[in-house]
Amino acid sequence: MSGLSRRRPDRLAARRAADLGKRVEYLAFGLAGEAYAVPIALVAEILKPLPITHVPRAPHVVVGLMTVRGRLITVIDLRRRLRLPETPIDPRSRILIADTGEEQIGLLVDEVMQVYRLAEAEIESAQVLGGDQQAYLAGIGRPEGALLILLDLRPLLET
Amino acid sequence: MSDTGGGSGKGDASVEKAREDFLSEAQELVDGLSRDLLLLDQQSRHGESDPDLVKDVFRAVHTLKGLSGLFGAVRMAAVSHELEEALDDLRLGRLELGVRVMDLLFRAVELYGLLLLAEKGHGPEPTKDVEALLLGLGQLTHQGEQGPQNQLAQYEIDSSVLGVLTEYEEHRLRTNIKSGVSLYRIRVQFSLSTIDTALDELKAAARPHGEIITYLPSDAGSDADTIALEILMASHAEVETLRAALTGLSLTIEPVKRRGAGRSSAPVPPPKGPPSRLALGELDDADVAQWPGDPARQDALAPLPSPAAGANPPPTVPPAAGADAAGANRDLSLRSVSQTVRVDIRKLDNLMNVVGELAMARAALGRLTDRVRSQPGLRPLGIELHRLQRTFDRHLTQMQNGILEVRMVPLGQVFEKLARVVRQISRENDKEVNLVITGAETEIDKLIVEELSDPLMHMMRNAIDHGIESRDERHLVGKPVVGTIALNAFQKGNHVLIEVEDDGMGMSPAVLVDTAIRRGLVSPAEAADLSPRDIYNLVFLPGFTTKDTATDLSGRGVGMDVVKTNIAKLGGVVDISSEVGIGTKITITLPITLAIISVLGVEVAGRSFAVPLANVEEAIVLDEALVRNFDGREALTQRGTTLPICRLARLFDLSAEAGADTRRRDTRACVVIAAVGNRRLGFVVDRLIGQQDIVIKALGKSLKGVKGFAGATELGDQRVRLVLDVAALIEEVLATDKERIGLKEGAVAR
Repeated sequence: MSGLSRRRPDRLAARRAADLGKRVEYLAFGLAGEAYAVPIALVAEILKPLPITHVPRAPHVVVGLMTVRGRLITVIDLRRRLRLPETPIDPRSRILIADTGEEQIGLLVDEVMQVYRLAEAEIESAQVLGGDQQAYLAGIGRPEGALLILLDLRPLLET
Repeated sequence: MSDTGGGSGKGDASVEKAREDFLSEAQELVDGLSRDLLLLDQQSRHGESDPDLVKDVFRAVHTLKGLSGLFGAVRMAAVSHELEEALDDLRLGRLELGVRVMDLLFRAVELYGLLLLAEKGHGPEPTKDVEALLLGLGQLTHQGEQGPQNQLAQYEIDSSVLGVLTEYEEHRLRTNIKSGVSLYRIRVQFSLSTIDTALDELKAAARPHGEIITYLPSDAGSDADTIALEILMASHAEVETLRAALTGLSLTIEPVKRRGAGRSSAPVPPPKGPPSRLALGELDDADVAQWPGDPARQDALAPLPSPAAGANPPPTVPPAAGADAAGANRDLSLRSVSQTVRVDIRKLDNLMNVVGELAMARAALGRLTDRVRSQPGLRPLGIELHRLQRTFDRHLTQMQNGILEVRMVPLGQVFEKLARVVRQISRENDKEVNLVITGAETEIDKLIVEELSDPLMHMMRNAIDHGIESRDERHLVGKPVVGTIALNAFQKGNHVLIEVEDDGMGMSPAVLVDTAIRRGLVSPAEAADLSPRDIYNLVFLPGFTTKDTATDLSGRGVGMDVVKTNIAKLGGVVDISSEVGIGTKITITLPITLAIISVLGVEVAGRSFAVPLANVEEAIVLDEALVRNFDGREALTQRGTTLPICRLARLFDLSAEAGADTRRRDTRACVVIAAVGNRRLGFVVDRLIGQQDIVIKALGKSLKGVKGFAGATELGDQRVRLVLDVAALIEEVLATDKERIGLKEGAVAR
């Protein structure tokens, strides 16, 4: 016990240093007028919409298949996944190629905005919204003035 | 490329790599061991054993011991050690090669398989089996070499020669003398510069006629550039025959005289007698008599050809012929090992993908070229481009074929395992069965080979358990007591056919129908409508078995339906024909490769799909007037049989896209008739697009719940076309039959 308390000031200091130095980069994108973001480390590529082939019988969230340099990629419509109203693909639409570890999946978004470097202090837990939150809500990012809904890709892409 | 996955640390990777190499090398050795043992088993049944073969087996085990020790595979090392001891005794004649020893050796091979699996982390350590085998090996009683103790003395062999013979050479000498062949002394002079090849030549030439026991340098006639050898050889041939065989080599041959038979001549370094080749020669004759069809036997016994087509036989070995073929080929296979490269199949898949991408680039290049050529001002440039494109085309095709070829492995890889299984099952069943293999060299995609062993194993079990009659029964009906299962493989166009044919009791249609009714798989009314072909296909129904009690081998009602499913998964088809009292033949038809397949492009509601041509029987124009509706399902009458049809647009819930389809309303729809196994179904499509060879790619995990598609392929313009999983779709569409069966089965059970 005494050991722990003695060390606590050090740890706080270290954390403050980390807050200043080590930040995580998030890629922000728009969906139905809101700004969402995922860690940019998980995004392998950002592509303009390519021809997408509809897959009969696929789950509703699946837009279809496309190929990127010979690789088959399943494209998911994030609007459908988040139960947001649908809009047709337009020139600002982008497909983020996300690496889930198991496969690369394309995420269809309305537009790509910018990269934010978020310190831990700038991230609020999703709990602030109260109640039972969806597992894919990783938190709320609050870079100066803006508000980002941070997504956790793994639960988002499950099922 | 967008590869983002990083590898593990360099050190780990190299250790991991070395370990993988060890495992695959060990696997290769075990496979070779299994091959040699089967050969040895054949020989031992005739009371013979080829000493070279025993030596090969010994060497393989010795290498395994070293390897496993190096990689800390303790159990494998322990097994190898004991096995090595036993084989050493066998080699030196201290142990007799009998059924018991063969059983132990075969068990050791099985055990190696389990141990390797365990090493790969795919199975439990077979601790008990190891102990049992070690115990069994320990209990082998050694017999002393008896008999020709004095016989050696009967020959005029110089004691100085006898003194330097190794234990092995002495054993061979005794064995040869015991079998009563003649000993010859050959004196030959070699130039020092060419002695290696010259000696090989001599050995090769002598081999068909006997066994070289030893060769020793002799003083007589040696000078600075040459060396004289005294060779002791055992042969059943006359001295003239030997001289004729070895003609062209500067040597002298004289028989070694028996003491007392003539005058005792000067002691000469004696060649020692080799009767073992005689043994092999006799065996071959016997074999030919027993195994119908000489080529069959050759195929079964000959080692596999190396996948490397360029593995030429060493120049010093003359084309092996006749009795010696097996021996000479074994040398060949030993040598080719070093010319073989082991490659992870995934690396080949990657290469395949790259080639696929190049093919896309080629298509784009073609379109570009056409555009350039159509512009009057750019003609010269267009022509040049066109030429370049053709060259690119040609080389790409070569590359594609080259990679496909590399993926090909001989079916012999599975067939060997089967030979072992057949031996085991027939022994357990107390039936005698000869497995006659032809076409083991037929090549097929590596991935297919791996998926084949289970289905083929089931078929072998069935053939032995249900097909081949007991000895007494066979005797009663005047069949040879030893049953025969023929395993034939051959290529036919773009397909490989594998036939399993037994000369057993065959299947009686009446019994099959009766059984199916009894098991509630069909109703008596349905049974009355079955065609002869349908009746044989009853065995593919889940739950079908004619045996009332399940044995270890079969009769559990799983088996043939699994066979069918597995083969269908590979895009293959299974057919059965049978005649009561004569036997049963099951034919599997498989595509040669999975990676590149030929497909038929079809269009449905403005979208295109690909149907693997392997599953397509034919395509016909749909005449709506002929469509009949049964019970909510549609069918056509085609050549006197009923063909159920399924409208793809409806199945996939596709509504015609505006514009895309209406223009073609006037054209008539087509029916693509697909068959998998014994089931046929017509897919109704809007139009046919044409035939194409495509590289098929698997769908990602996120789509694994979507049934009905085998994968997708990329068209030249970056578009994706889905490839239908015909087997799954047929299964699904015709499922109601099965559901009915399932319900009935449930009702019976209750």
